Amino acid sequence: MSAPTFEPLGDAALVVRTPAARALLARLWRQPPPGLLDAAPALGQVTLLFDPLHTDAARLEQVVRSAYSTLTAEAAPPARELTLPVTFSGPDLPWCAAHAGLSEAALVEALCALTFEVAFLGFTPGFAFLTGLPPALQMPRLAAPREQVPAGSVALGGPWAGVYPRATPGGWRLVGHTAFQAFDLSRPEPVPWRAGDRVRLEAQRG
Amino acid sequence: MAEPAQPSRALVVLRPGLQTTVQDAGRRARALGVPGGGAADSTARRLGNALVGNPATVAGLELTLLGPALRFEAPALVSLCGAPFGATLDGIPLPLWRAVAVQAGQTLDVRGTPAGLRAFLAVRGGLDGQEVFGSRATDPRSGFGGLEGRALRAGDRLTWGAAALAPAPRALPSPEVRTPFGPHHRLRVLPTPDLTPALEGHLCGPVFTVAPQADRMGVRLTEAVPAPHDPTRPSVPNVPGLVQLPPDGRPILLLPDAGTHGGYPSPLVVIQADQPRLGQLRPGDTLQFEAVPLAVARQALMAQEQALRQAETALRLHFASV
Repeated sequence: MSAPTFEPLGDAALVVRTPAARALLARLWRQPPPGLLDAAPALGQVTLLFDPLHTDAARLEQVVRSAYSTLTAEAAPPARELTLPVTFSGPDLPWCAAHAGLSEAALVEALCALTFEVAFLGFTPGFAFLTGLPPALQMPRLAAPREQVPAGSVALGGPWAGVYPRATPGGWRLVGHTAFQAFDLSRPEPVPWRAGDRVRLEAQRG
Repeated sequence: MAEPAQPSRALVVLRPGLQTTVQDAGRRARALGVPGGGAADSTARRLGNALVGNPATVAGLELTLLGPALRFEAPALVSLCGAPFGATLDGIPLPLWRAVAVQAGQTLDVRGTPAGLRAFLAVRGGLDGQEVFGSRATDPRSGFGGLEGRALRAGDRLTWGAAALAPAPRALPSPEVRTPFGPHHRLRVLPTPDLTPALEGHLCGPVFTVAPQADRMGVRLTEAVPAPHDPTRPSVPNVPGLVQLPPDGRPILLLPDAGTHGGYPSPLVVIQADQPRLGQLRPGDTLQFEAVPLAVARQALMAQEQALRQAETALRLHFASV
């Protein structure tokens, strides 16, 4: 495993870049270093928010380096499989099909044949960045984001696929809609997916 | 055996104000995409709570621009800290930055503020509210926390926790500890790897104006700078106080309710010591960014923390003796 790199972000955060970001985050949750307040993952990195009155970037870097040396032995939590029922009638579906050089039916079929993986959560509560789109199905983001994307929209943006948990502005291409709730505080587990889980889309008749 | 009737520790909202929400010290669930939340002026929150003998992190009301009118159904000890809002208790002017005893049946009426934007109303015992991921802070965009995840409305009833009533302390926090408000601000910043020499010239020095789009997610500035544009830029985690540059070049300063991740270039971060000031940025205020070395950021935070702890300790002694 290549060594992580470190870069302070302001006086209260440290960006750690490593392909093992997910395992590192799990380790830091289990054994939080002094002064660590919160941590936010992204692709190949994790940003550590710390209390500068209790630690600093250099001390945190040391802790992370020593945690990192024993990371390979960590067992990742088992990945789960989720199937999302999707009505493929999004306003951008025709555009996306044309962009991919496919019929709409063929695009839907191609999307449903994929297995996505939750790379990380972020943006809004429960929003998951899903990887697994082959380059031919990757869609450029809109030049001007929509002011309001309806909750439950299934969208493609750059290398990602995602489901908007609630109505927000958004710049991804909307291909469908799902009743799947990515954030629901009435459930014992408000956010039903975590990094590493596998996700499939299943076409519903609109 | 019948319990003796307890007066309910509650207040009724007669007028909600512009954007009055339950806030505390915020939550730590960024890995689920959940913003930090919490009072935008953390200094006002800490001193307000200390003045009524509360732990620093408990919930109170955050007021924005125009305050609420609240009728208390039970005796309470309250404090109002932050921007210089005009307020009365049954018609008598209410002093800011000190604890005030409220009798059952009295009405606290908070009007507008000529400068700054927010204040924190602390109630001894701490306000109740929906706790989500360890915090009662209201996140109106996601609709959770506080009172039904929304700003107050007329007719709402809020309750607070049990705490022995105590006489108001005479001690006052020194004015130097308070968060400064406008109309002009200097915000000290640290550079990120996104800062180029050219961008630094455009950002650090020139005067910016706070745009009307200023809420708990972010504060927009009206003057545009040449923004680097990279549509393939990945989404990375945000931190509080980050200065983002969207393609239109008008900087956005991130506040506690900002989304956890963003894809815009972010060349500056406001230092910790100056972040409470972000909560007092009012549309029309002007501001300048001043790049400082890390050592200055550290020193400023230490000095601020020392003054805050001194004030908190003095007040804690008062409540320990009652």
